[in-house]
Amino acid sequence: MKRLGFYISIYRKIIIQDIKSKMSYRSDFIISMIGMILTDVSELLAFYIMFLNFPSVCGWSYHEMLFLYGFSLVALTPLQCLFDNNWHLRHYVYDGEFIKYCFRPINVFFYYISEDFDTKGLGQFFVGMGTIVYAWYKLDLPVTFVNIAALIVALFAASLFMVAIMNIAAASCFFLTNSGYIMVTMNKFRDYAKYPVTIFPIFFRIIFTFIIPIAFIAYFPSLVILRPAEIPFLTWFSPVYGIIFFYISYRIWMWGASKYSGTGS
Amino acid sequence: MRIKACAALVRASIMDFMQFRLSAFVMLLGNIIYLIVIYNLWRAIYASVDNAVINGMSFNDTMIYLVLASAQFTFMEAYLVWEMGRSIQSGKIVLNLLKPVPYSQYLLFGIEGGNLCAFVVTFIPTFFIVQIITRGAIHMGVNLLFYLAAALLGMLINFAIDFFVGTICLYTQSTWGINIMKEVVVLFLSGATVPLAFFPETLRKIAMFLPFHAIYNTPLTFLTKGHEMGIGESFIMLGEQALWAIALILIGKIFWKLSERVITVNGG
Repeated sequence: MKRLGFYISIYRKIIIQDIKSKMSYRSDFIISMIGMILTDVSELLAFYIMFLNFPSVCGWSYHEMLFLYGFSLVALTPLQCLFDNNWHLRHYVYDGEFIKYCFRPINVFFYYISEDFDTKGLGQFFVGMGTIVYAWYKLDLPVTFVNIAALIVALFAASLFMVAIMNIAAASCFFLTNSGYIMVTMNKFRDYAKYPVTIFPIFFRIIFTFIIPIAFIAYFPSLVILRPAEIPFLTWFSPVYGIIFFYISYRIWMWGASKYSGTGS
Repeated sequence: MRIKACAALVRASIMDFMQFRLSAFVMLLGNIIYLIVIYNLWRAIYASVDNAVINGMSFNDTMIYLVLASAQFTFMEAYLVWEMGRSIQSGKIVLNLLKPVPYSQYLLFGIEGGNLCAFVVTFIPTFFIVQIITRGAIHMGVNLLFYLAAALLGMLINFAIDFFVGTICLYTQSTWGINIMKEVVVLFLSGATVPLAFFPETLRKIAMFLPFHAIYNTPLTFLTKGHEMGIGESFIMLGEQALWAIALILIGKIFWKLSERVITVNGG
């Protein structure tokens, strides 16, 4: 408990410094925020155009699809905001700069990840929340305490999966050089999380459920709210699975870091 | 003399590409995964309308269009805005400006070789996979030549837009945000996200009026509808692209000339 308090206080200090340094490039901050929001809005427009021509996707209506998309955006916000430093890991490892993280008396993963707070991810959060609220209203879903609580738990569980996938992808740079394309390829999967997994044939459904579990980013957790009459077992299991999956990714990352021997410079 | 320098740049970028062979295969793999997702998604969508032809686009047309748009992206996108942004921030741009070739040409020929390799290694295999999946729906005739010409012009237009946007980085010192905005606008208005045929009438008219559709929509139309179009019509489309390419390259050059003097490199 005392250790947790210690880590939280360190985290706060590091984040404040990081935000201060980012705020010195104010125009970059604003442009990045607009860019982020524009990306999400173009995606919404794509849905809108698609549903002008077609009535439904595999039994999912326009507003249900919007809900899934909004849900995936919010669930991906922690990845964007808190774990963005994973993208630089390969450069640090390659240059030998990573060694500095190994000499601190705190957890390497924690120290490395806490160094960057990506403010532009907040734009994504607001677009996602707005989309969820809009879809919620249009679908006439009941606003009850249980529903809201379920949404929060579901979002929390969902956020763990993509973080874990990207942790493993980033850790690949401890074993391979030029691992950037692994991250880019894995990162693409986040775009596919917004579709109901039922559109895929069984083979890919298994892959997207157990091996690259993107079905847990929006589809399974959303069922609690969207289709309360037919919640599969996997939905209930998702928080536990999320934590296990995240823990595995953390162990892989730490294992890679422990193999790291620097570049000798 | 100039040609020799440019050939050297192309050769260097081919060698650079060869250095990262593995990444090409990962790109191809990414294309195949995208193909699987798009195939299933649009099959589900077309199932909801009993596989009809919507706005002149059948399921096969949509597949060819979207998958090859993504494959085209992998060989066209050279992350030029990144490259320019990084060399501006690091100060490396000063060295590039000292080269005996104008900066725009230095950049263009510096990516050309890589683009060419990516075309062979990722686009051509994806093309044949799509051809197999759609049971030979791509017409194999003179339209393929038109496609190649249109893709080349599309690449030039894409380059000109990148060069223009990269120049903006001289003023903003924000690379990520500028680049993502450019990418969204280009991919959306060029039809790479949703085929332009599905756009509502007004939006489609606006998109056709802008240069972006010439990057993806024009070449891809030669693949989906090329055999139905007359030779004259095909040449008009190529002509429009050529005009856009010339206009945008000129605008980019002028903008660069005006902006060159604001380059500030800290230290060095």
